Amino acid sequence: MYRFFLSQRYIRMRPINWIGTLSIFVAVSALILILAIMSGFLEKSREHLRGHLSDLVIAPSFDIPLNSNGQTPPRAAGPILEAVRAHPSVQAAAAQMVWFGMLVPPRGETVLSDPSGMGMVMVSFVGVDIPDEYGATSLRKDLEIKVENGLPGQRPENLDDPFAYPKDYERDPDERPLDCILMGERLAANWGLRKGDQVELATATLDPDTGSFRQAANRTVVLAGTYRSTFNEMDLSRIYMKREALADWLGRHGQYSQLVVKLRDYERDWVQTKADLRQELGQRGLIHPSPKTYTPGDFGWEIQTWEDSRHSMLAAIENERALLGIMLGLVLLVAGFGVFAILSMMVSEKRRDIGILSALGATPKGILTLFLSIGGLEALVGAFLGVVMGVYAAHNINDFELWLSSTFGIQIFDRKVYYFDHIPTVIEWGGIVLIAVAAVGTALVAAAIPALRAAYLNPVDALRYE
Amino acid sequence: MSDPAPLIRARGIRRSYAVGDRTLEILHGVDLDLYPGERLCLMGASGTGKTTLLNILGLLDRPTAGSVHIEGRDGWSLSVAERAELRNQRMGYVFQFYHLFAELNAVENAVLPAMIHHGAMAYMSHRKEYRDRALDLLTRFGLAERLKHRPGKLSGGEQQRVAIARALLLNPPILIADEPTGNLDRATGEKVLELLFAEQERRGLGLLLVTHDDSLAERCDRVIYMEDGLIRGQRVLRSVGGSTDSPELPSGEATAPA
Ligand SMILES: Nc1ncnc2c1ncn2[C@@H]1O[C@H](COP(=O)(O)OP(=O)(O)OP(=O)(O)O)[C@@H](O)[C@H]1O
Ligand SMILES: [Mg+2]
Repeated sequence: MYRFFLSQRYIRMRPINWIGTLSIFVAVSALILILAIMSGFLEKSREHLRGHLSDLVIAPSFDIPLNSNGQTPPRAAGPILEAVRAHPSVQAAAAQMVWFGMLVPPRGETVLSDPSGMGMVMVSFVGVDIPDEYGATSLRKDLEIKVENGLPGQRPENLDDPFAYPKDYERDPDERPLDCILMGERLAANWGLRKGDQVELATATLDPDTGSFRQAANRTVVLAGTYRSTFNEMDLSRIYMKREALADWLGRHGQYSQLVVKLRDYERDWVQTKADLRQELGQRGLIHPSPKTYTPGDFGWEIQTWEDSRHSMLAAIENERALLGIMLGLVLLVAGFGVFAILSMMVSEKRRDIGILSALGATPKGILTLFLSIGGLEALVGAFLGVVMGVYAAHNINDFELWLSSTFGIQIFDRKVYYFDHIPTVIEWGGIVLIAVAAVGTALVAAAIPALRAAYLNPVDALRYE
Repeated sequence: MSDPAPLIRARGIRRSYAVGDRTLEILHGVDLDLYPGERLCLMGASGTGKTTLLNILGLLDRPTAGSVHIEGRDGWSLSVAERAELRNQRMGYVFQFYHLFAELNAVENAVLPAMIHHGAMAYMSHRKEYRDRALDLLTRFGLAERLKHRPGKLSGGEQQRVAIARALLLNPPILIADEPTGNLDRATGEKVLELLFAEQERRGLGLLLVTHDDSLAERCDRVIYMEDGLIRGQRVLRSVGGSTDSPELPSGEATAPA
């Protein structure tokens, strides 16, 4: 009984003991907050790394012969689309034509007169099929999205045919019909473009005979609407048009450059699906045949998962996690030291009491548990409050940061620097429980040292003190 | 012999300390018996080893050689837990400097031995009984108005009375007191002693008392004189138990140093 009674009495009567609790509290709440923010950032980074990447991208090398008789992969998308869609793990697939080019300034200047690059912008042209594209990518969502500070009325009117002329577009009856494009909201805003404006595009094409680039005729197109994805630089650099229209502009040497594939369950199926498709498509001569056995890390060929194409960056993120773990361990170590220091002090201060307890019949084991429970009790209270505080702080970090910057003018989180407009946090309960348990465990280990010292204190020495 | 069995029987107690690279022997072989109901006084100059001996007899300090039997059980060959149990149940200690817990009030200090004896559940079921016992003792000692006071708010005499109540709570047959009045003025010390002797008599305790006070020694049944770690002689004032014919204590003669 005395262990419980004395431990709680010691803690209550000696405010200095709260330093141990405080150190655990601060460590646990800080760890939870750090974990939440770091996990948030890592998750965002991962998301960001993934960007618009589809689960799988199949991009045959059309110019390399499949076999000795010089046959190359078919340029039409039909057969390969059919073959890919037949796989049970595939939810949707769409053919894309991707090419590079430039947006020519509308003020009449030409691209070439502006060698500094200012006033023009490199873009990718992405030729897509509607509605295939909607099934395989987030395009439909990006076209539907409504944002508070977005430009109103710039989205295309009819999502079933987003490349139609805007309603109020006045077509010059004499001109030949123009193609319509979709561009990122930010890009349109930067250029002061509105729905229905005409835009000029420039590109160069590869001459299939000589293998060299030559400038293609510029094209005037109509902005049919804007989209907004969650990825800034993608919004600034992607221009969608009909696949047909792009292929036509580029001279119809190819009809598609890649398939984007969405799987039903990426995490579960990607390994098997990738292997299956390699074999299947390779056998049918739709892509180049490759060895049967799949070797991990072998991502240099025609079928890539999104992780394949971000391999080294993802590895860096995982490194970050390991580093995070080490840092968290260090924080706990410091907290444990707080408990150790306070309890050591207490044991020294309470030598006499320890001697009396011995004289009154307490065993060394009892004295050990007395001091362990002081450390444990402190840690439990600290860990509990720390969890409450940490989770609360993680939930409200953005409000807190805003308050800080508006009250003191300190800007901790510069929204211009990051791709996201708030501090991302992820509450991982598994991690939180782990932190709390580790904190209490560390405190107990730290408490064990002074507790053992107390238990093996010679009562006679202890009592000689006055 | 129809003597009652001694409460404490110590034989050939030696105690040496390592001081630097040599050993310093403080007790050179002490024999001592304490009988039930006996008021035994230990006297001697400062530094002769009285406290050292008391700690050994009280099973707080292990002798370098010799044995201590408590009610027939060899105290220093028991397990740590058994020895702790003996201290808890069979002995009460009163120290010169009271040694109360500063964080606990008078009643809480007094019931501490019971808390040590029982686990939480068992204690809670006997809680009232022990509190009543402590209240009874403290009231008898004139502390009825001081029950909720912490040691810091009590006078020396009051603190020592709380310490005596603590020592007596579990009704041990042996009471060990090392200069219990050494830190009190004469009048206060007198009162505390009065109370201690009254309880000793009432309960028939074996009381082992260290003092420098001759007048106090006068009121004991037997006085043992120590000198340089040896017992030099004893004076029997009243015969209690088997104390008169303790074989190892021919009057005035020391037990031979080995
Ligand atoms: N841990 C120790 N190490 C070395 N010497 C010690 C130790 N403890 C006690 N002594 C020595 O043992 C001797 C006896 O000490 P003890 O406290 O038993 O004397 P005492 O008779 O109780 O004296 P007093 O009447 O002053 O209380 C002293 O000389 C003391 O210095
Ligand atoms: Mg002494």
